[in-house]
Amino acid sequence: MTNLQKNKCIDIQTTADDHRIAKLAAFAIGLHLLEAVLPSPLPGVKPGLANIVTLFVLYRFDFATAAWVSLLRVFASSLLLGNFLSPTFALSLSGALLSLAALFLTQYLPLKYFSAVTLSVLAAFAHMVGQLIIVRFWLIPHTGVAYLIPVFMAAALVFGVVNGLLTNYLLSLNPPQQHQDKG
Amino acid sequence: MKSTKPLWGDILVVLLALIFVGYLFKSLWHQEHAAKLQIRLGDKIYATYSLDQNRMVDIQGPIGLTRIVIANGQVRFASSPCTNQYCVHQGWLSRKGQAAICLPNQVSLELLGGEKSFDSLNY
Amino acid sequence: MRFLVLIFALILSACGKDSLVQTKAYVFGTLVDISINGESESKSHEVIGHILQDFQRLHHQYHAWQSDSELSKLNQSFLAGRTPIEISPELTQMLTQAKTLSKQSQGLFNPAIGRLIGTWGFQRDEFMPVEINDAAIQKLVKENPQMSDIVIKGTTAYSTNPYVKLDLGGYAKGYALDLALAELQKQGVKNALVNIGGNIIALGQHGDKPWRVGIQHPRQPGSMATIDLPSGWAIGTSGDYQRYFEENGKRYCHIIDPRNGYPAQGTQAVTVLLPPSPQAGVLSDVASKPIFLSASDQRPNVAKAMGVDNYLVVDAAGGVTISASMQQRLNWLIKPLKITVQ
Repeated sequence: MTNLQKNKCIDIQTTADDHRIAKLAAFAIGLHLLEAVLPSPLPGVKPGLANIVTLFVLYRFDFATAAWVSLLRVFASSLLLGNFLSPTFALSLSGALLSLAALFLTQYLPLKYFSAVTLSVLAAFAHMVGQLIIVRFWLIPHTGVAYLIPVFMAAALVFGVVNGLLTNYLLSLNPPQQHQDKG
Repeated sequence: MKSTKPLWGDILVVLLALIFVGYLFKSLWHQEHAAKLQIRLGDKIYATYSLDQNRMVDIQGPIGLTRIVIANGQVRFASSPCTNQYCVHQGWLSRKGQAAICLPNQVSLELLGGEKSFDSLNY
Repeated sequence: MRFLVLIFALILSACGKDSLVQTKAYVFGTLVDISINGESESKSHEVIGHILQDFQRLHHQYHAWQSDSELSKLNQSFLAGRTPIEISPELTQMLTQAKTLSKQSQGLFNPAIGRLIGTWGFQRDEFMPVEINDAAIQKLVKENPQMSDIVIKGTTAYSTNPYVKLDLGGYAKGYALDLALAELQKQGVKNALVNIGGNIIALGQHGDKPWRVGIQHPRQPGSMATIDLPSGWAIGTSGDYQRYFEENGKRYCHIIDPRNGYPAQGTQAVTVLLPPSPQAGVLSDVASKPIFLSASDQRPNVAKAMGVDNYLVVDAAGGVTISASMQQRLNWLIKPLKITVQ
C-alpha cells in the first residue's frame, strides 16, 4: 500500500477487481480450451489444469473471486466450444459446483499443515463425484458405470496432486501482495 | 520461501485418498459385470443376448407368455403367467452367475460372463 | 513332422479329457441338471437319457396327488380300511426307509401327513393363498397320522389309521439322487454332478478340482456361498422361498409342522451336507426338514439324531447358525451380518 500505483489501483478498486477476475477467468478459459483440444488418456478424464487458476485465486484473493472465476470459466468455455446446456456443460457445471463446495469447506485449513495439494485433491474428488452423479443418473444409467468409478477417482487423485503441486509452485513464485487473513 | 518438505496435512490427505480409492477398487471391482444373458425354454437354449442393448423378449411357454426385459445392463422377468410370481419377485439380475427361473412356464435366465464360480446351484 | 503329430495328439487328448456334457430338463416337476465329465458325448447323453427316464418313472409312480400313481392307490386303500394291498419292492424299500427316518427324527419328518399338506394347497403344481380352515387342520393333527401306523408285511402294506396319506415330497428327490448315483457308477461313469430341483449329489471331480456348488441366498437372486462337494457327498436345502404363498403379509411355506399343522415359521432355509453312503441322497433331502422345524436350541440335537454333522441355518431375521465342520468347508460370497457357530 506504499506504492503510488497501488494507491491508484485501490482508488478504483472495483474496476481493478473486475479486471483481475476477467484476466484470471480468461486465463482459466484458455487452459480449459487448450485441454478440450488435446487428446485425453481416458475418455472423460482430463488433467483439469484450469482448476489451478481457481485454486490460485482462492489463495491470493478470496472464495468469492475463485467462485466467479470458476463459474465464468464453465459458462464461457461452453459457449465458446458450442456445448452450452449440453450434457458436457452439465458435467462441467456439476463438477465445478461440487468442487467449489469442497473448497468452501476446506479453505480455512491451517497453512502450516495443508497446502494447495490437499485442497486440490479434495476438490478433484468432489468434482469427480459431481460428474459421476450426472453420468449415473442422467447420461448412462448402466450398472457398468460402477466399474469405472474407481478408475475415475484414481485419476482425480493423481491429477489433484499434480495440480496442487503446480499451484504450490505458482503460489511460491507469486508471494501474497496484500494482507490476507487465511488462518 | 519455497518449502521442499511436504506438509503433514497433505501427506495425511493423500494417504487417506489412496486408501479410499483402493477401497473403491476392492468393492466395485470384485464382481465382474455380466455381459451376456442366456434364456432357456424347457431344456433348450432359446436365445443369448448381450446385456448392453435394451430389449424386450416375449416367450411362449407351456402355460403362457413370459416377458423378459433387458435394460441398463440388467435383466428381469417383467411378467409371467405363473401364480406365485416368484420369478418376477427375483428382481433385476446384473452379475455373472445370477439366475432366475419360472418353473411353471419352464423359462430360465442365466447371466454368463467369464468363469462361473460354481458348477451347480443348491436351493 | 513327429513334433507336429505329438502336438496334435496332445491337443486331441486334452479335448477328450475336458469334455463336459451338461443337460437341463424339466422332470420330476422341477428343473433337473446333470453334468458328466470325461466321457464321450454319445455315452454321456445315453446315460443321462436313461437317468431322466428313471426320474420320469419315479415321478409318475410315486406322485402324491395324481390318482393313478402307485402311491395314490396305496393312499386310497389306507383310507378304505385295513386291507393289505400289494406294493412294488421299490415302494416297500422306500417306505421301510421312510419309517426308520421318521422315527429317527421323532416324527418331525412325517410323510404320512399328506392330508395336511393338501389342506394348505401344496398338493398342486402352483400355490395360491388358501382359506385357512383351522378346525380341519386341528382335526388332522389330532388324528395324528404317523409312519408307524403303516404295517408292512412281506410285499403288502396297510395302515391302522385311515388318516394316513403318503406324500413323499420331502423324500423322493433324495431317493432319485441315490438312484442316479448308483446308475452312473453302474455305467462306469467316473465324474458327474446331478442336481434335482436344487438337491445335488457328486461323483468324482470336475477335472482336477472337486465339484463346486453354490448355495442360494434365501432372499436375493444369486448364491450366498460356495462349497466343494467331494465324490459321493450330497447337499440339500429346505427353504421358505420357493414353495410358498403369502397372505396378509405373512409367508406360508410348504414345510408343515406335524405337531401343530401349520407351516413352519422362524426359519428361512436349512442346508445339510452328507458324506458318502447308500442313503446320502435321501438324507440330503430328508434331514433338512426336522432341523427346519426345530427351535434354535434343539437344532444340534436334532441334527445329531439324523446323523448330520454339517448344517447351516438361516433364521427368519437372516442370521446364520452353522455347525463348526460346515463353517470350515464353506466359502461365503455374501457374508451374513450375524454368524453363530454351533
